[in-house]
Amino acid sequence: MPSRRRRSSPADNRLIARPERVYLYDDPAAPTLDVGVLADTVKDVLGLNASVRKEFFSYHRHGAVEDLANRLAATKVRSMGQRWVPFEPIYGEVQFERRLLEDPAKSAPGILYDGHRLMRLCQGLLPPKERTLGVAHLIFTSRVVGTWEDDGRYHARVNVCGFPSLLSNTGIVEAPAKPKEYYLLKRRLTNPMGVVPFEQVKAPFAGRFVDYDDPRLTEVMKGYVLQCLFHHMTGEAFCEEPRCRLFNAHWQAEVLEAQIASGRLCLRHRKIAAET
Amino acid sequence: MPLFAHSSEAEVTRAILAGFNRDLAAYAETEVIVIGGGPSGLTAARELALNGVKVVIIEHNNYIGGGFWIGGYLMNTITLRAPAQRVLDEIGCPYEQYSKGLYVTPGPHACSKLIAATMDAGAKIQNMTSFQDIVMRENNRVGGVVINWTPVEALPHEITCVDPIALECELVIDATGHDAQVIRALEKRGLAKRIGEGGMWIEKSEDAVVEHTGVAYPGVIVAGMAVCSTYGLPRMGPTFGAMLLSGKRAAEEALKVLGKSPKKPVFAWGEYSAKPSKAVKSRR
Repeated sequence: MPSRRRRSSPADNRLIARPERVYLYDDPAAPTLDVGVLADTVKDVLGLNASVRKEFFSYHRHGAVEDLANRLAATKVRSMGQRWVPFEPIYGEVQFERRLLEDPAKSAPGILYDGHRLMRLCQGLLPPKERTLGVAHLIFTSRVVGTWEDDGRYHARVNVCGFPSLLSNTGIVEAPAKPKEYYLLKRRLTNPMGVVPFEQVKAPFAGRFVDYDDPRLTEVMKGYVLQCLFHHMTGEAFCEEPRCRLFNAHWQAEVLEAQIASGRLCLRHRKIAAET
Repeated sequence: MPLFAHSSEAEVTRAILAGFNRDLAAYAETEVIVIGGGPSGLTAARELALNGVKVVIIEHNNYIGGGFWIGGYLMNTITLRAPAQRVLDEIGCPYEQYSKGLYVTPGPHACSKLIAATMDAGAKIQNMTSFQDIVMRENNRVGGVVINWTPVEALPHEITCVDPIALECELVIDATGHDAQVIRALEKRGLAKRIGEGGMWIEKSEDAVVEHTGVAYPGVIVAGMAVCSTYGLPRMGPTFGAMLLSGKRAAEEALKVLGKSPKKPVFAWGEYSAKPSKAVKSRR
């Protein structure tokens, strides 16, 4: 699910900033993601000048890879039930990040990163001339990003809106809840050693959620891109209308309803989009 | 006429000693020592031996194979998800496809085949032997391991004095499972740290286990479930496939550390988690 649940109000939709350029950073680990199509959507829906860049850390690499790997490892969440505190990553954690930096087509989704820490790290890598609200950066990643919430634990997110915004191609699979029956079947089929036969569990629910390498990924992500840009422009990412692309979906069924079945903004947000 | 050839008790004893002494003397100084003879340790040792590396496995149990003999709920059918069945191809173990991408084989067959294949490749196994400590060299470089007979551990420390022995090596692979014994030994000296098992278990987490396999401390590679304990990955969930591929990755990393180019590719079928390549389209 997206990063914030604040209710929207008409006052939220005042234009704060209109980016002159939007950069979308590719995720080579997501073969079904077409960022070019997403850039076209930004142009078509919001009339903004959007273009595609290669994977973020390859594009904005400064200095030694080891240093960046160290800083990336330091944004990890080591315990889901504990708020992030600064720590010194251990050698192997840094080497793991180095391998991912050297081969961005790899993904290893078992690690959760603190979305805001990761965002801050990315922000620091941007060149000063692009560190302005006149430029929006949308970073696609296969890393799982989460945010700490009031219930005392981390929640995985599809996107973390901010400057820059993060969009997780793993998050869209893992963050919004699948049908309840999926979890009941998963519990029934998980063996006592903890091994989950995912293919068997998923089979009866095929099509009812966004899966890894799902051919609908690009279409679904259009809405999350728009959420990030509405957040950038108005300070508010979401809409309460379930058939609006900006709907803050908590269930996969809601994701598919807003992004596939409807696939458009609500009337109010279409007006705002037209005004931009 | 007797069925068996004549041999005296003394001759049998001398034969046991000669064989054991020969191997222990040869492996008192070796290139790689693998601590733990489970699926990841065996796979790593086999791959290294196939690449001409002198390698010995230290196993604290009498039996080799760790948990690879049985699957869940003590049922001896084990499951492997693609592409891990390729390891079964390599060791000549038959299997069946249960469903798309999921393969089954009897645990005893797979485990015995893996042990045999490891020894056929040239790796040695020292069983009933416990890892006790690491040997440290200048600049805190790991230079070997301290071992003792496993039964010695069962004796009360107050009334026993059975000194251990040490084996020297260039590289240690910690394949001791959840205990991560080698990393724990480094931790006691303040040289390494285990994060402990935890984290979120999602569908693709096994990839993280394989991807974290590698050098955890100069001179020490961590493999298998020890990876989870070292890096805070989930304790439950990884299947045997992750253990086998982690073993292969450990061997790949070990060859790099030793500065040896593989005689045969460790992942003979290509990248272990090959995904469709993505053509990046640049649009403006």
